Amino acid sequence: MEAALTRTPIATVGIAALLIALAVAHPAHAQRAQAELACAGTITVHVYDCTVRLSRGGRPLEGARIVVGADMPSMPLAHVVRPVTATPGAIAGEYTFRLALEMSGRWAVKLRVEAPVRDQLIVHYDFSETAASPARR
Amino acid sequence: MDAYTVGVFTNIGLLSFLGLSAYVLLITGELSFGQQAFFGVGAYAAGVGTAMFGLPLVVATAAAMASGALAALVVGLPTLRLRGLYFAMATLAAAEMFRILFELLHWQRDVGGERVGPDGTQGFRGIRWVFEQGIEAAGFLIVVYGVLALLVAALVFVERSRLGATLRAVGEDPEQAASLGIDILRLKLGVVAAAGAVAGLGGALYAHHTTYVEPRNFDIMLGVHGLAYALIGGLGTALGPLLGVVLDIGLLEGSRLFAGYRMIVFGGLVALLLVIRPRGILDERIVHGWRHRAWRPR
Repeated sequence: MEAALTRTPIATVGIAALLIALAVAHPAHAQRAQAELACAGTITVHVYDCTVRLSRGGRPLEGARIVVGADMPSMPLAHVVRPVTATPGAIAGEYTFRLALEMSGRWAVKLRVEAPVRDQLIVHYDFSETAASPARR
Repeated sequence: MDAYTVGVFTNIGLLSFLGLSAYVLLITGELSFGQQAFFGVGAYAAGVGTAMFGLPLVVATAAAMASGALAALVVGLPTLRLRGLYFAMATLAAAEMFRILFELLHWQRDVGGERVGPDGTQGFRGIRWVFEQGIEAAGFLIVVYGVLALLVAALVFVERSRLGATLRAVGEDPEQAASLGIDILRLKLGVVAAAGAVAGLGGALYAHHTTYVEPRNFDIMLGVHGLAYALIGGLGTALGPLLGVVLDIGLLEGSRLFAGYRMIVFGGLVALLLVIRPRGILDERIVHGWRHRAWRPR
């Protein structure tokens, strides 16, 4: 493998091209979505039922596709939570999902909104074995 | 590849930078518990570059590497006069100082109608360059592994050079290396800066992967993991730390064999390997055997 890494000019050129493409691109700003998260424990340890209310410009964000993940700030990258897709809830802008975590503690819940707008929101939440509450920061 | 698998591979790639940063120091005989600080410096620096000042990712990443190297030099200059455990303790203390500095750092500016920048313990949100470019998780995975491949290739090249032999000689016996005319302090300062730059590079990619960072991301837990990856993977080749990350994140975390008890299993694995293979799985003897077989005439 070492030899392959050092003797593959095509791969090197490809990676260089990708880096050049990243160098010339510039970021664009868009109106951000807001999220209110509420989670509650279930009878299963470390499994939580969550509801998120999404809004944008003060109005409920309807018809959104949200993929939810989570990371533990005190152990970044050490946990890989299987992403789940939220389903529309009872009222406009509300979505529900079930989150299965590995352990208790403070988690950063990542809400990746893919439609009708693209956004990524981070909400910190404290999870115990069977209960959950918004993180006090 | 599903989103979960992409997530596992991305985390393996990002943690590999931290493992490689610790590895670069280990081959010169220095044990650092503080590489997470330079990972953090890189994360914050790159975030400031793209989120606050609209720099392209490559420019911000270069600044992150320079910042990581500079921060490592600031720590290295006074601490490299210490030896062994004392150096390790000093790096741990310095890393905690950096974490506290991140907690005290409040520097925000208005970008597109919102306040962006480090906000103390609240962290640094809105590092959205990759997201706003429409680069999906799979695309970012390619970026991470592309950069990682370049880094590993560079390290392999250095290891096979005269410089690589010098670094290992210093790691094996610094007194003897010094008697041969090697300026140990100068060489180690260079290594410390290079390790800081590697950690800064990883931090820059990490910040753009998660879109936010906070001081507690960069505490001792991350540093211990980085060091453990290098130690269990092996000090014989730059591929060693990558193997260490794969064992932890790919095998133990990815398989979910031990669920919440994984950290205990990982700790036990590190302790066991340090007893039976003090230089890790891919140690110098194994790597030398590979090279000997590869170059032997058939």
